[in-house]
Amino acid sequence: MLAALDTSRPFGREPRKRLKISLTPLIDVVFILLVFFMLASSFLDWRSIQVSSAGQPGAPSGVEGSLLIDLRSDGVRLAGETLTLEALGERVGARMQAKPDQRILIRPASGVDMQRMVTLLDTLSNAGAQDIALMPTR
Amino acid sequence: MKRMPRKPRRQLTYDDSILPLINVVFLLLIFFMVVGKLSANDPFEVIPPQSISDGEAAQQDLTIAVGAEGELALSGKLVTEEELVAAVKAAEQGEFRIRADSRASAATVVALIDTLRSNGVASVRLLTVPSMGGDN
Repeated sequence: MLAALDTSRPFGREPRKRLKISLTPLIDVVFILLVFFMLASSFLDWRSIQVSSAGQPGAPSGVEGSLLIDLRSDGVRLAGETLTLEALGERVGARMQAKPDQRILIRPASGVDMQRMVTLLDTLSNAGAQDIALMPTR
Repeated sequence: MKRMPRKPRRQLTYDDSILPLINVVFLLLIFFMVVGKLSANDPFEVIPPQSISDGEAAQQDLTIAVGAEGELALSGKLVTEEELVAAVKAAEQGEFRIRADSRASAATVVALIDTLRSNGVASVRLLTVPSMGGDN
């Protein structure tokens, strides 16, 4: 009777050998996934700048009372005077002290690339400008 | 001092020798899955302008890419300006992101933003990357 309760060897058979699962297919799949994610993902740290456009129905429109900055390939013009970016930053900073809600319009000329415009936007927001709008050349 | 008698070492199998490799590969896989962001590739190369701005780049907005020569792409597909305007009008979304190449003409991009705004787009964001220090 005791032998019948012994379940470790049912029917007196030899214990089954542990089934071996090969790891090679798993590694193949994992490598393929790894290569996919390495190629498909981007690690650029994106930032953004909110921009508004001049002359919109919603936005406070009108050129009156706003500072118009002409961005040209040979420099930045403010009120007919060509300035460097640093000098412009100082001027705008002084203006912002006097009138914090001063609206600034930027009008890029043709031939100016985006990097220069973004640098100008950075300079202006460093100088304290809040309300910056872009103005298309007509 | 007499050494303890060493246990007879088990024969290393092939699987045992490959386990550390799998561990490392799994860690790499998880790293790339978590850290990288999957995004639609633009049909042309875009080198984003560098900026010190730190605004959030909202992921869910539609993205318009502008290439160095003024090519346009919406969500990774090359489009003409008319197609873009039609798609913008059809889209319910009022928020767009512009990924403009740093060599693209600023006047073109500003004109594009103006076109978008006059077609009912509420908010436009310019995408930039933080400057890599020093020269730019």
